[in-house]
Amino acid sequence: MNIIECDKVAFVKNGNTILQNVSFVVGEGDIVGITGPSGSGKSSLLRLVNLLQSPTKGNIFYKGKNILDYNPMLLRREIGYVLQKPYIFAGTVYENLVYSYTVRNLQPDKAEMLAFMDKVNLTPDFLDKKRNEMSGGEQQRVAFVRSLLVKPEVLLLDEITAALDEANTEILENFIRQQTETKNITIIFITHNIEQLRRLAQNVICIKDGQIDFQGTAQKYFSSREQ
Amino acid sequence: MSNWALALTYILPTIAIIISYRERLGLERDIIIGSIRAVIQLSIIGLILKFIFSLDNVFITSLILLIMVYNATLVAAKRGEKIVHAKRISFVSILLSLIITLGALILVKAISYTPGEAIPISGMVVGNSMIALGVLYKNLADSFFDRRDEVEVKLCLGAKPREAARGLIRNSIKLAMAPTVDSMKTMGIVQLPGMMTGLILAGTAPEIAIKYQIMVMFMITGSVTIAGFSASYWAYRSFFNDKAQLYDI
Ligand SMILES: Nc1ncnc2c1ncn2[C@@H]1O[C@H](COP(=O)(O)OP(=O)(O)OP(=O)(O)O)[C@@H](O)[C@H]1O
Ligand SMILES: [Mg+2]
Repeated sequence: MNIIECDKVAFVKNGNTILQNVSFVVGEGDIVGITGPSGSGKSSLLRLVNLLQSPTKGNIFYKGKNILDYNPMLLRREIGYVLQKPYIFAGTVYENLVYSYTVRNLQPDKAEMLAFMDKVNLTPDFLDKKRNEMSGGEQQRVAFVRSLLVKPEVLLLDEITAALDEANTEILENFIRQQTETKNITIIFITHNIEQLRRLAQNVICIKDGQIDFQGTAQKYFSSREQ
Repeated sequence: MSNWALALTYILPTIAIIISYRERLGLERDIIIGSIRAVIQLSIIGLILKFIFSLDNVFITSLILLIMVYNATLVAAKRGEKIVHAKRISFVSILLSLIITLGALILVKAISYTPGEAIPISGMVVGNSMIALGVLYKNLADSFFDRRDEVEVKLCLGAKPREAARGLIRNSIKLAMAPTVDSMKTMGIVQLPGMMTGLILAGTAPEIAIKYQIMVMFMITGSVTIAGFSASYWAYRSFFNDKAQLYDI
């Protein structure tokens, strides 16, 4: 079943066409990689899917229903989005992670937080750290855990390994793969890293100048590149 | 103080005009017009107040208070250009704060609803709420610009606009209240408030003047808080659309 469907989506901002005629489908439990030159509109596309902005033209469907017909808050809890610029709120990491529970009116579960943090190679002492006491890569992983704790069905990841070394990138990739295998979470991730695309993506969407330049299986993408 | 002596005090703005002229501050015109306007406005108000006090009519008193609130609304709303319905929000918030605080004082019989008491006290309360709302709007708009990322991240996690904006809202209420709280803390040490000074100069015993001052101080604190709270939780909405998205600023 297709969990997300974009139908001829266009996005215009201040008279500039940022996305144009973008159509694709994403199956449940898929891992889709989006790539393309800087400024081509990748982040803008994810913002639309998360309903941080509405498309100017075209429609986006989630589970067969137009996303505009959902309660935006409930939709965003199902379609999580880890932004390109990780933003850690003032306060400790613990307080940041608590937010993911209070937003759903749940009691914070510290054991669960620690378990997720462990999966992305963050030790328990990070709970007391503040944002200015962490590196860019550490902040990115905290932001990732914070989004995961909301228990989304789809997770949009915007270059979240951009600031990570190889070892931590691999840890994160394995964790992402494991999430889709065990919880059937659908992943759409943006990357400039062609090797990451090869390792992680089942399907690839390549965006150029706000339009889809390629879409298909990863296999097809790489064989077309080799020619 | 004789009228002649009062006229002579115009020496002081004259000094300001001379300095402005010499230093090319370009304020001469404003000072001349401003001082003349102040004299005319206060004289007219003096006459009107004299008349209204003599009428002692509840409806006219209420009408005067409404006009006061309306004028304050226009001034506060000017600072809230980015806020939709800034006028409506300001009017209701200032009026609400006035009704609650004035109502409480009348209820405990601290003052009576006579023009002589209600009008000057309301003037101070409304004036302070007006300044507080101006600060609040400016700060709220600035925060939504500066802290856009924070609000969007919270929205992404599924927060309602009100939750996503809560930190900004609280901060702007705090900033709007800061001058009131500070002046309460330093009252009598740094400044003898205008009202108390006025009463004492006019011959009221200091201990009575102080009683009134304390009451007004508390009343201002209460009303600034009520107005700020009401306005901010109303005004934040203008930064979001019906899909819980931030508008571009
Ligand atoms: N808030 C904005 N207002 C106007 N234009 C914007 C805004 N944000 C992005 N753009 C423009 O939209 C285009 C696409 O931006 P977007 O952030 O989606 O690119 P991207 O593919 O994610 O790039 P990168 O790989 O560098 O992150 C760019 O040309 C950018 O200048
Ligand atoms: Mg981007």
